[in-house]
Amino acid sequence: MSEKKKIARALAQHSDVASLKALYQSAAMSRRAFVSRLAALGISASVAGIIVAGSPVAIAATPKRGGRLRAAAGAHGPDDTLDPARFNSVINYGRGEQFYNGLTRIDGSLVAQPDLAESWEPNSDATQWVFKLRKGVEFHSGKSLDAEDALYSIERHLDKDVGSGAKAFVENIAEGIVEDKHTLRFKLKGPDADLPVILGTYQMKIVPVGTTDFSTAPGTGPFKLKEFKPGVRSLAHRNENYWEEGRPYLDEIEWFGISDHNARMNALLAGDISMMSGLDPKAIPKIKSSAGVRVVNTKAGQYTNFAMMTDRAPTDNNELRLAIKYLQNRERILKLIYKGNGMLGNDQPISPVDPMYCDEIPIRAYDPDKAKFHLKKAGMDGGTIKVHTSEVAGTGAIEQALLLQREAGKIGLKVEVQRDPGDGYWSATWGKKPFFMSGWNMRPTANIMLTLAFTSDAAWNEARWKNARFDELLTLGRASLDPMQRKNIYCEAQTLIQETGGVAIPCFIDYLDAMSDKVGGFEPVPLGPLGASQWPRSVWLEG
Amino acid sequence: MWLVVLRRLGLGIITLWVVSVLVFTGTEILPGDVAEAILGQSATPEAVAAIRDQLQLDRPAVVRYADWLTDLLRGDLGISLAANMEISEMISGRFKNTLVLASLTAALAVPLALAMGLAAAMFPGGRVDRLVTISTLFLLSVPEFFIAATLVLVFAVHLQWLPAITYMTEYESIWQLMESLALPILTLTTSVVAHMSRMTRAAIINVMTSPYIEMAILKGVPRGRIVLRHALFNAVGPVVNVIALNLAYLVSGVVIVETVFAYPGLAKLMVDAVSRRDMPLVQACAMIFCTAYILFILIADVLAILANPRLRQPK
Repeated sequence: MSEKKKIARALAQHSDVASLKALYQSAAMSRRAFVSRLAALGISASVAGIIVAGSPVAIAATPKRGGRLRAAAGAHGPDDTLDPARFNSVINYGRGEQFYNGLTRIDGSLVAQPDLAESWEPNSDATQWVFKLRKGVEFHSGKSLDAEDALYSIERHLDKDVGSGAKAFVENIAEGIVEDKHTLRFKLKGPDADLPVILGTYQMKIVPVGTTDFSTAPGTGPFKLKEFKPGVRSLAHRNENYWEEGRPYLDEIEWFGISDHNARMNALLAGDISMMSGLDPKAIPKIKSSAGVRVVNTKAGQYTNFAMMTDRAPTDNNELRLAIKYLQNRERILKLIYKGNGMLGNDQPISPVDPMYCDEIPIRAYDPDKAKFHLKKAGMDGGTIKVHTSEVAGTGAIEQALLLQREAGKIGLKVEVQRDPGDGYWSATWGKKPFFMSGWNMRPTANIMLTLAFTSDAAWNEARWKNARFDELLTLGRASLDPMQRKNIYCEAQTLIQETGGVAIPCFIDYLDAMSDKVGGFEPVPLGPLGASQWPRSVWLEG
Repeated sequence: MWLVVLRRLGLGIITLWVVSVLVFTGTEILPGDVAEAILGQSATPEAVAAIRDQLQLDRPAVVRYADWLTDLLRGDLGISLAANMEISEMISGRFKNTLVLASLTAALAVPLALAMGLAAAMFPGGRVDRLVTISTLFLLSVPEFFIAATLVLVFAVHLQWLPAITYMTEYESIWQLMESLALPILTLTTSVVAHMSRMTRAAIINVMTSPYIEMAILKGVPRGRIVLRHALFNAVGPVVNVIALNLAYLVSGVVIVETVFAYPGLAKLMVDAVSRRDMPLVQACAMIFCTAYILFILIADVLAILANPRLRQPK
């Protein structure tokens, strides 16, 4: 019997269920009491959970302390690190959230929340920000946190020798001034309304001033390091002195990598691990049909796209780029390749989960006639074009290229799909061939995403698209603290990319992870797999 | 005989050197370097230049190779470019894991293979022989990853008797270690047993056609005694060589099993190192694997000589 039928039957048989549910939701009844009352009516706990919130886990509202969580990410290797500046993958981010804190933390709606900083305030034109630090926080070593530590931790990223992956995020900081023990002022080179969000990103973790050896993970985080073997695993145990009241809930976390997707899924199904990042959409039915495990699906802004370089033939012709954009059968791609786990894209990189998403631009519909029209205008009717792709380019990159080949064939454009080896794809194909597949993770703010990958002089501007008005808009956006004005500015920027840019973005892809029903307290954050890796401080294990 | 061993050792060292040159050339031919591999998509020219500068990758390949070789001769494996750690430190734990898995598998597989080979050779064409032949041919033709996946599906996911992945830390007893490694050992055993048992059978049947065996048969010596006392020793040469090759495979070639069971062994480390263009680490792994092959084959040759006095006098 399907679960829906079970519920329908349960509801039909017991009119009391509805009133029990109302009691539970008004919080007049505890979860346990609710479930046991339902059980008295002959309804199993799993069905009870669905009645409450549509998912068996939602019933677990009271955190439970203790236990060891074993969880696995995918890619890992000998270059796994505990140095926040070099964090570049889910395995590292997960450790970052176990052992460190940032000044701020980005929540599920992409708003900065207090972490080690209690509050912050910009000046009138957002060229200076003052952060007030939390008092009484101690590092694992016992040292008290003060503004010197915070300043050192942020300024490290600017040092060329540190090799920080987040250097571009903080390059706008001109100077940091320690005003008193718990007050830090940042003077910026140019205005930036998004600084608090930027300081909540994965790499911006706070370490004691002067730290150069990170092998002990010397942060303030909810867990302390017990053992770390790069490429193998880390073992963390609870920081009894953690500053967040009552947290963390777990006693220990064993966090490691299982590169092979099937091995990772088997480990979850066999109960060897309770949580895994990176579930292949193809494996969703398998997880859904297995007892005790669930798929966690987070709406996000990651995408796999076609990049058409605007500085070389043949993709320098906007008519051809428009033809390719009109050939994107977005609904079909979303349904076929991503099994519906995503949202429609609109050939610009800001997704609907971003507060700056522009919903006024109509989504470009699949239209072979218009594609044909633009193809003729480009003088490419009956022509041939080669698209480079690879499994490393992004989830579904090969499938997307093959679908385009099919659709293009219908209007007389021959698309050759060339599969390049994953090894060396980013150095030999990406940003070199005129037409290739690429993939992007969501960035914490619209401005960061657009600045990193679309401004005229950005090193990651994969299509070499240059637009002076666009560059100007981003500068205006950074300086504006007014939400309405910001929205208008970013809307115009998104329109420019959508109309003339060098990317076709058919859809945004959800992050798919899987976990045991015993894991409670998981909070989705759209910035990355496993709730942007923020799970260590929030999850617990049921019995 | 010692002369033979010494000459082999000398040849082995030359082989090691040739392999190191080949591996170095190979990693040089691959597109991209460690700087680009570390940064991936985020490789801006500035960041790549900074890392190249830091790792001194801008020096000519020959100079880098010569430096590596002199360090190696001094017993220094160098520092991993991608992880910035001592390679000896990175490798030691992994190598131990590899040896644990290889020796436990060998302890099960070698006696099993010999027993199967002998049983089959006792009465060629008999029921036992046919059973052994069919099952070994089946195992030889089924790829390792398929066996591994099937075992995981049955024993880990459905029956939940054994873990789907291995944990190489914190087992309190040898029993826990065995439980954790049961599936990888079973997988590897199925893939090496077939090879070794077929060679045992073939070598013994070959010897069984010699005139002195015919003499023994005519004298009325029982079949089992003929095989064990008379034929086996003369079949040792080819058998130990196949065993040696399979043991070397267990040390160096089990990357599929390491991947499927998330086992932190040396083969996977080398594959990861190649994809990260971590030349010193690739070289170190290649040297270890090559040494393992050379040593195992040398031991096999020595054993063959000990078992067959005719080989002791070089012709």
